[in-house]
Order: sequence, then structure tokens, then C-alpha cells
Amino acid sequence: MQIAVSGGKGGTGKSTVATNLAVALHSLGTDIVMADLDVEAPNDHLLLGAELANEEPVNQFMPRFDYSKCTKCRKCAEVCEEHAIVTLKDGTPFLMPVLCPGCRACEIVCPVPGAILEGFRTIGHTYVTQTPYGFTLVTGKLREGEERSMPLVVVAKKKALEIQKKEGGMLLVDTAAGTGNTVSKAIEGSRLLIAVTEPTPLGIHDTELILKLGKLMKLETWVVVNRSDLGDVGKVAEIAEKYGAEIVAEIPYSENIVKSYVSGKPIVLENVPEAKIFRDLAERVTAFLGGGE
Amino acid sequence: MMQMAIASGKGGVGKSTITASLLYLLKDRYRFIAVDADAEAPNLGLLLGVEEWEEVREHVGAKVAKINPESCIRCGICYERCPYDSIHIDEDGNYFVNELTCEGCNVCGLVCPVKGTITLEPARSGVIRRATTKYGFPIISAQLDVGRPESGKLVTEEKEWAKKLMEELNLEHMIVDSAAGIGCQVIASLGGADAAILIAEPTPASLSDVQRAYKVVQHFREPAYLIINKADINPGFRALREWAEEEGIPILGEVPYDRAIPKSMAMLKPVVEAFPDSPASRALKEIAERVAEIIG
Repeated sequence: MQIAVSGGKGGTGKSTVATNLAVALHSLGTDIVMADLDVEAPNDHLLLGAELANEEPVNQFMPRFDYSKCTKCRKCAEVCEEHAIVTLKDGTPFLMPVLCPGCRACEIVCPVPGAILEGFRTIGHTYVTQTPYGFTLVTGKLREGEERSMPLVVVAKKKALEIQKKEGGMLLVDTAAGTGNTVSKAIEGSRLLIAVTEPTPLGIHDTELILKLGKLMKLETWVVVNRSDLGDVGKVAEIAEKYGAEIVAEIPYSENIVKSYVSGKPIVLENVPEAKIFRDLAERVTAFLGGGE
Repeated sequence: MMQMAIASGKGGVGKSTITASLLYLLKDRYRFIAVDADAEAPNLGLLLGVEEWEEVREHVGAKVAKINPESCIRCGICYERCPYDSIHIDEDGNYFVNELTCEGCNVCGLVCPVKGTITLEPARSGVIRRATTKYGFPIISAQLDVGRPESGKLVTEEKEWAKKLMEELNLEHMIVDSAAGIGCQVIASLGGADAAILIAEPTPASLSDVQRAYKVVQHFREPAYLIINKADINPGFRALREWAEEEGIPILGEVPYDRAIPKSMAMLKPVVEAFPDSPASRALKEIAERVAEIIG
């Protein structure tokens, strides 16, 4: 069982909703594993007041050429969709490491065994952190200067799925901003997509994009409107309806939430009115997944 | 000629709102083009009141693999070898490519034993659009189709188009509003820039992300500057300012949390135009003076 929290626009409150939902679901008795797949800007651990632990490098394949065996046939360069391999006039191949996506197409086409050797570079790290709230958080973190987040999203998600398989329960995925294929990779396999937005024209514009993606992926999609008093929720409702999604929660701008956000203590456990919104959402998620709503 | 990129690492800290205001404040002093380089969530055009694009170019840069079920022998090799787990099996046992996660590397096509069964097809990756804002300066904005790879390439294309327009229209400067994150879109935005303006709010999450964005800026050896947004939402948090001081990043100014900003957004106007006397606008005017000093 997997659910995903996403939103299109950055900074709408994805991580706030995801972390509070995780804590609330866990306190309702649902076993949960959380995956922070916003690998370019992972923050869930900060919001949960946890320090990232159990760091493991994500090593990505990179070809190394054995020039004593290479026949300079240029096949590796021709097949590289990213043009990461350039050849000299005589056909000698060279790799431009930052462009290499690690897909192994070059290795597959190389006709000489041993001419392309196994090399690698570290494109980022994964972390497996025990949160103070009793559940495990898996985090992917792209190394600064690396362009492609997809390989890291794939590895971090696999790791989260393995842990979920071992521990049982539900996987809750928090995605990056945007609506490109790394977001769809993170969302893939979810029973439910929760799109967090804000009722500004910008939020509404980007909500449409994420709802489009949800529809293409044939996912049940809910909308959470954050900072709901900063704009026109009716306009969010219009877009949601157009894509067959439903607004399930509205969160007004709240200094309490800002305080909990900056102090790394999820608000859902505190005795403030805002906590109820997240508890209700968690109950609704449980009911949906349990009963099929 | 100066190319200036605005980045933040974390999304939603105010990149586009601040950029829109700075563009508005500097429009009579400089001849520039604005580039919205957040192709997965493009918003700068909205904030500048762009209602219609004058020119829309389709970008067919992406490639996605396709499996022909007629000739597929269901050996499953493509399924095993896809580096991104983008090949799936349907209820009838047919293999298919999920176009929404495919990276277009063609590994499946190379390992497939039946020639011609898996092909790499060109796919539309999105559009790049041009408009003239009501403030007189032009804007270029990209929008990636949902679920497509390589938004960075779209940003590179955008900047190429912007450069051509600069020549045609005799413009001096390019201001690039980048995406959230630190990946390909941001790298494409920062690459070739003469200066980077970082935007952050005083929260641990924003600090963590802006530090990562700064590392990318350092890769390009560009001078960096910092604007602190929502500067008063977390009193007592000094780590952001301390970090900037340690790294020697000049702070161009601090914008207070101000409800005038969401209100101006709803009006589709930069806050400095809609509410020129609001606290945020006053701070932005001072910041615009500093930015003018950088541009020279």
C-alpha cells in the first residue's frame, strides 16, 4: 500500500502535510514507512526533528575505457542518447562524466569484451532514519552539481519499498516540486495522490498540472488547500472538479504551523486547533484505504 | 551584458514574486529580457500579468521507448534491464513502457533480441513561449509536458531563444528565474550566468536547501548574493545570516512577511506595483537599488 503527497508548485506545504500525516497515521495505529523523494531538496527529517542516519552512497555506473582493447568503432558514442561520450578524430572515446546517466547503453553495444570496464561515481546518498515518532524515514539526497535526479529517486524508492516489505504497513511518499518524470516516478504505484496547493493564481496554475499528471496515471486524487485564507478556494475547487478530484482539507495560514515547522515538531501532536485538520485527514486516509471509500 | 539567475533550492520561498518585483522596479533603467526557467511549474508570466503568448514553439526534444506487442516475444529482458524500472507488464502479460517515467536512454531497444520491436520515438517535451509584458520588456517561458524528462534541456533552449531576442531587440541583460531544487533545470539556469541571487527564508529547511543551491553556484564560480524573504517569521533564527556571513555572501536585503504579497498575486501584479507603500515593497525598492549596483 502506497500513498503520495505532491503538489506541482514548490513551497505549498507538501512536506508539512506529509510529515504531519505520517505522524498522525502512525498514532492511529497504522504501520508506516515514509520516503522523502524530493532528492534535490529533502527536508522531511528537519520537519521531524531527526538527524539523517545510516548514510549509504548511491553509486552510478560510468564506463571506463580500456584503450588497449578498444577498436575505436565509435558505437558507444553513437548510442549514447546524452552525448556523454565524445570521440577523437581517430575514434578514441572519451567520457564527459557529468553528462553520463549511467544507463549502460555503451556497455551493451561495445563489441569487444573488456573494452568498457565497470566504473562508477557517487551521485548522492540514501539515508534510513528512525524518527522520534516511531516510524522509519528513507531519504534520497542528490549530490550538488549532479543534474539527474531520476536515478536517485529510483534507488531511494527501491530502498523504501524493501523496508516497507520487511516491516509491513504503508509507504508514504513525499515528492519534489514540479510535474516532470521524476515526480511521476515517485508517485507511481500509489493508491492515493494528495496534492497540496495554495489558492493563489500560481498555486492554482500548478495544481492543474499535478492533477493532469494524476489523471494520466489514473490515480484517486485529493486536494489539500494550504494557506486557504490567502486566496480564492473556489477557484481551486473548480480546477479540482474538472479533474475529478476533491478538496479534502483546508488549512488556514497559521503562526502555530510556522512555529512547528521551524522547530521540527509536527503540529499534529500538539494541543492546538490546527492539529485536528491533520488528524481528520489521517482518519479519512485510513477509511479510504481500509474501506475503499 | 549581464546574465543574472535567481535560485533558492527550496520551492515557494518567493523566487518568482521577488523577481517580478525587481523586474518591475528596474524596467525603466535597463533593457532586459526575463526568462522563466521553472519549466515544471512556470509562474513568472502569471505574476507579470501575461495573458496571451505571442509565439509558442513546440519542443520535440524528448524520446520515449515503444514496444510493438505484435513482434514482442515476451522474453522480459527489457523489463530486467531498464535502469529506471519504466517497463511494466499488463494483465495480459504484455510488456509496455510507462511514458511518464521513461528517460529515453534506449537500453531496452539495445537489449531486445527481436530487431525493430522496441523503438525510440520522438516525443513532445513541452512548449517554449514568448510574450511582451505590459511593462514593455519581453519574457520567455517554458512549460514541460507532465511526466516528461529533462526539463533542463528545455531551459537551455529557452536561453538560446532569449539570446537571439536580445540581439534582435538590442537588449542588454537577461534575468533568469530558476526552478526549485538543484538539478538539471537549475544547473541550466545558473550555467553561463554572471551573478546568482539566492533567495531564502529563515527556516532550517530553506537554509539547508539554499546551501545546496550555493554549492551549485560555486561549481560555476559565480558571485552570489542573498535576499532573505519572510525575514521576520522566525525570530531568533540566526543560522541563515551567520551562514551568509561565513561564506562572504552579501545580503542584499530582507523582505518582511506581508499579506500585501498574496493580495498582489491575486491581482496578478508585482507587489511593488499593487501596494507600493507596503512594508514588503519598501524593502524591495531598497533591494532593487543594490541589484542596480551589481548590474552597473
